[in-house]
Amino acid sequence: MSTGLLVLVILLVILAGLAVQQRQDAGPIARRFVEQFAMLVPRMLFALIAAGFIAKLIPKEAIASLLGDDAGLLALPVAVAAGLIVPAGPVIAFAIAAVFAKSGASVPALIAFITSWSIFAAHRILIYEVPLLGASFLRMRIISAMAVPFMAGVIAMIVGLVTAFGQPLLTQ
Amino acid sequence: MDVFDFFKDPAWRKAVVFTAFGKSFWGFAGAAVAFGVLCWLIKGPEEVWAALDEDLGLLVDLMPRVVVALSIAALIWVMMPREKMSALVGTESGMRGLIIATIAGTVTPGGPSSAYALLAAVAVTGADRGALVAYITAWATLGLQRILIWDVPFMGAEFAMLRFAICIPLPIIAGLIARRLPFTLQIKGAET
Repeated sequence: MSTGLLVLVILLVILAGLAVQQRQDAGPIARRFVEQFAMLVPRMLFALIAAGFIAKLIPKEAIASLLGDDAGLLALPVAVAAGLIVPAGPVIAFAIAAVFAKSGASVPALIAFITSWSIFAAHRILIYEVPLLGASFLRMRIISAMAVPFMAGVIAMIVGLVTAFGQPLLTQ
Repeated sequence: MDVFDFFKDPAWRKAVVFTAFGKSFWGFAGAAVAFGVLCWLIKGPEEVWAALDEDLGLLVDLMPRVVVALSIAALIWVMMPREKMSALVGTESGMRGLIIATIAGTVTPGGPSSAYALLAAVAVTGADRGALVAYITAWATLGLQRILIWDVPFMGAEFAMLRFAICIPLPIIAGLIARRLPFTLQIKGAET
């Protein structure tokens, strides 16, 4: 068993123990589990199969030279830009991350990509942020958070010098 | 009355099946077939089988993680006092306000509808802009439900943990930057 899975299992055991101690109803927990499983798993299966084929089709060298270890710091702006322009929900965004990972993108590049997408997801801005809070808030938030994915990527590069922990499952 | 009665509720079952096999599911299934055909035509059948073989190995690896991660997400969903945390956003100033906003964003569940609804409600009361930015940045980058439901299944637990650990200080930095921006903030629906 890998370290990551082991930590998750330990966390699960602790939480389950707490739930028993607090006499939580199992009903709502089971219900939430089934709902999330239904939302995730069927789409994830086909998203990953599609990602597997796409990874075979696109030239690996191109991805590796832009987002791989050899790209150095250049990988970060490329990854952040890619995250900015994915105007879609999590299944598509993570399927793209899977393609990048299979094609040799580095861990810092993947972290910068996912962080950038999670902060700037265009569909979310259009559907929720602008209607609910307005353009003035959007401008302030974008400028404030612009550096965040870059910082995440740089920290990941520094961490990568010390440890190889955090390789995505796809490339192992 | 049994706590598992919802499993027998036909409306709930229908909703779950619809979530699992709705339009978007068929979109992904169609994309998988289309790219499979493309791969067959351009790269030949061997590459198609090789890709499917890799996928199978990956899915076998992924499934236990998915089940464990979703179980944790479900337990946190039920047990976390998230309303209490959310109620504190914008009530404190200084560094404390940013830290509270970051924790609240981290425990706010999944979808953007609940996070943005809370943000809008807090924003119209004239809350500190640093806390608003820290909250939504934390929700986006550190959200526990989002990490357990998306990062862990797709990228593996190690990657998810690394990304989480790296991102912990970042919402606070974004909040500090927001406080220093020379903008007049006009929130929709707020009285000026």
